[in-house]
Amino acid sequence: MSYVGMMEQDFLDKFMGDGDVTRKHPSLLLKTYHGGYVVIRLALAGHKQANRPFYRIVAAHNKRARDGKYIEQLGTYDPLPNVYNEKLVSFNFDRLKYWIGCGAHPTKPVAKLLGLAGFFPLHPMTITEAERQKAQTQVTQTEEGSEQEQKKAEAV
Amino acid sequence: MSCYTVLCYKNEYTMITPQFTDEAVKDILRRITGLDLQKVFRPIKQELKAPTYKLMTDEQLEQAVALAKEQAEKLLQMPPVLPERTPISDVLSEDRVLEGMDSAKYVFTDITYNIPHRERFIVVREPTGTLRKATWEERDRLIQVYFPKEVRKISPPHIFKEENLKMVFSQDQHEHVLNLCLVQFEPDSSEYIKVHTATYEDLEKHDKYDLLRSTRHFGGLAWYLVKARRIDGLIVDMLKRQLLQDAVSLVRLFHMVHPDTESAQEAANKEATNIDLLTIYAQKESQRSGYIELALQAYKQPAAEALAA
Repeated sequence: MSYVGMMEQDFLDKFMGDGDVTRKHPSLLLKTYHGGYVVIRLALAGHKQANRPFYRIVAAHNKRARDGKYIEQLGTYDPLPNVYNEKLVSFNFDRLKYWIGCGAHPTKPVAKLLGLAGFFPLHPMTITEAERQKAQTQVTQTEEGSEQEQKKAEAV
Repeated sequence: MSCYTVLCYKNEYTMITPQFTDEAVKDILRRITGLDLQKVFRPIKQELKAPTYKLMTDEQLEQAVALAKEQAEKLLQMPPVLPERTPISDVLSEDRVLEGMDSAKYVFTDITYNIPHRERFIVVREPTGTLRKATWEERDRLIQVYFPKEVRKISPPHIFKEENLKMVFSQDQHEHVLNLCLVQFEPDSSEYIKVHTATYEDLEKHDKYDLLRSTRHFGGLAWYLVKARRIDGLIVDMLKRQLLQDAVSLVRLFHMVHPDTESAQEAANKEATNIDLLTIYAQKESQRSGYIELALQAYKQPAAEALAA
């Protein structure tokens, strides 16, 4: 229940600003999420552009739509590499620490990014995916090797 | 024993040599730069506005001119001259487990608003799995992406390439290039220092010192020449334009920065001032002593004539 109280306060801070009186008497029309929690997740931005994803790292309520209204933007993630072969990720660490301190849950992709950044320890799925990728490349290499040998045998 | 004493002496005097930031040095450089209001407030490309006309008394005009001088002094603030920055090569962690996971690098920037850009965390995760701090060039580029400064571009304009610089110098646009360089690069980056050295060398070669006089870059030019001990051309130019006090200040600055030269020691012994200082410098130090003495003669003549008349 203290959760809901904190969230009500956040809403009131956003919409009504200062004023202790309003805090003690919230409007009945004010929408609150009962039993919901805050997550830090990737929200797709620029949805009018096809085939060009760009994510905002966002603190939002769990029940909200993925691209809907969020509480605060904490950063960005661009999944397509740029001219210098870099994927740009930005984090507002100050506000991130605040939201994690308030009890927000980061989702899996955000946790993976934070692990790669060094802010969190490395996510176990990152390591698993890296090993799977290595195994995949090894399999394709052996396949290619055997194909080349077959071609040489046929040519001869 | 003797080599130990020499070492001591060298250490002592490297601490005493004045730096660019010393008050006395800055004072001299400001005086040499001059304050030509017509050049500082010359018409530049701006948003078009209708002209305003004011009717003023003489007193109001003097006040307006004084205000203009204050603003000109602000515009003529010299950009800092810093040593080149040492490259960053800090590795935060090596994770060979992550090798081959992705073909692109991940660059993480901290976009907290109220930390200075020099202390911002910008970190790169390579495809080999190493987590390292970003290099200076990467830092500059990413800070421009997330906190854009007005005229700065993300990749440096083609004007700073060597071939294009030569063309720009042939068109006498040194000040333009230096202004662009000041906006684009940080004062201790290698490109900034390279562009500035190229500009100063070209100016010294062709004796085009007047292009930078009464701009904010003249101090930097004078400091560079003093450090390189090549102030002859500048002194000759000043004497040609009848700027005796400026030439004297320049020689005094030279003696401050290089107190171990013969001319400095003799000047200190004799406590020379003005023309004597210049003659001592001309005799002892400069390669173009004949030129300087001729110019001094030309300067003494009108003074002698005025005295005679």
